[in-house]
Amino acid sequence: MSKIDIHHLTKKQRKQMHGWLRAIIQLLYFLFLPSAYTAAFAGVKYIFTQLGAGEKIGLTSFVSVLIVLCLYTIVFGRFFCGFACAFGSFGDAVHFVYVWICKKIKKKPVKLPETVTSKLSMVKYVVLAVIVLLCFKGVYSQTQGYSPWDVFSMLHAFNFKLGGYLLGIVLLVLIMVGMALQERFFCRFLCPMGAVFSLLPMLPFFTLKREREQCIKGCSACTKQCPSDIGLPEAGTLDVSGDCFQCQKCIDTCPRMNIHCGLQGLKGNEVVLTMIRALILLGLFIWLGI
Amino acid sequence: MKTFWVRAVNLVLIIALLIGYNTVLTLRDKDDQIAKLTADLESANLYKQSVMQSQEDAAGSSYEDGIWKGEAQGFGGTIQVEVTVEGGSITDISIVSAEKEDGAYLSMAEDIIPTIIDAQSADVDTISGATFSSTGIKNAVAQALEEAAK
Repeated sequence: MSKIDIHHLTKKQRKQMHGWLRAIIQLLYFLFLPSAYTAAFAGVKYIFTQLGAGEKIGLTSFVSVLIVLCLYTIVFGRFFCGFACAFGSFGDAVHFVYVWICKKIKKKPVKLPETVTSKLSMVKYVVLAVIVLLCFKGVYSQTQGYSPWDVFSMLHAFNFKLGGYLLGIVLLVLIMVGMALQERFFCRFLCPMGAVFSLLPMLPFFTLKREREQCIKGCSACTKQCPSDIGLPEAGTLDVSGDCFQCQKCIDTCPRMNIHCGLQGLKGNEVVLTMIRALILLGLFIWLGI
Repeated sequence: MKTFWVRAVNLVLIIALLIGYNTVLTLRDKDDQIAKLTADLESANLYKQSVMQSQEDAAGSSYEDGIWKGEAQGFGGTIQVEVTVEGGSITDISIVSAEKEDGAYLSMAEDIIPTIIDAQSADVDTISGATFSSTGIKNAVAQALEEAAK
């Protein structure tokens, strides 16, 4: 039934439905599975700590989460980032609230210029390199209290014993300011786990492409809508932008319905694909016992 | 097109390196084990003596037999444990409830249990990466052992 309905919706209704679906999936993952991103990154830290100490790398729960999320990302693109990461969803919420307030007080939201954002997106690799190096040297544990993720996870768990976390709190507040001004600020510029994901060879089947020759000349609606300002790759190529979070906003923005994932047959049924991806991820999480 | 293959090759290289690294360490571990066993055999008597000594030590600081309960603050809530004491020493530690802990973190933190049993004391290092949950287990065991020492 739902399939038939989808084809008879107006463009605006489709867009709204996709927006709601994403918000609901994000909310559920945020409430019930909020720790996957820190667990996966703890896997990265663990591997480098062991390497630095000359110890064996065991298949601990952190490493399993890391491996599974990396495999998932290779197959489906960064769907985890766009739909399931608690910190990413938190950023979306902060940005949404900021834009909503700007609308209410009739002020134009401040946006970071594109020349700045393209440079900032390299910072996440620096963040990753620094953390990994600290782990390798065995001094990472001395940075206890610096991580904004720790502060966020503690607040999420209603654990308010934040003494000694001053730097972490300051960083979290600064990040929230960034999140308000720029959609997906943290994911794009700072996230060390995102840096790992963005370097993976993502398969072209479920990631988004466009039929470039059908584009309206001079139209860049998708790039403008994109939180990462991506110009999508040509259909039929293996190219995938590492900064694409699979938020799929571009699909509904394109005036020619020109954007689809690698498997052409799924065109127009991206909702089904979204739900399947979310359910597969849920299944993996339950299997891992997160 | 090219980036995809570069990334794929890099990933394969990294995985191969890590597996290779682990294999080398496993082989080295085996060598160490053989060396250790040989050494143990040679000094069998000495070893026996030391075992007896350590048993006496353990007996000196022994706990009262029984199943002792303890609880402490973990990451998101309270962790409850049960410590089994048999013949004056800790034989088993089980986690009764840790509802507010995250699965991945808790299973990592559980690695502290064999360490505590080996040391026969809750005074051991916490598990890095799962500091909150393992500290919770450690403190809960300490509380149970306080009961057992009375």
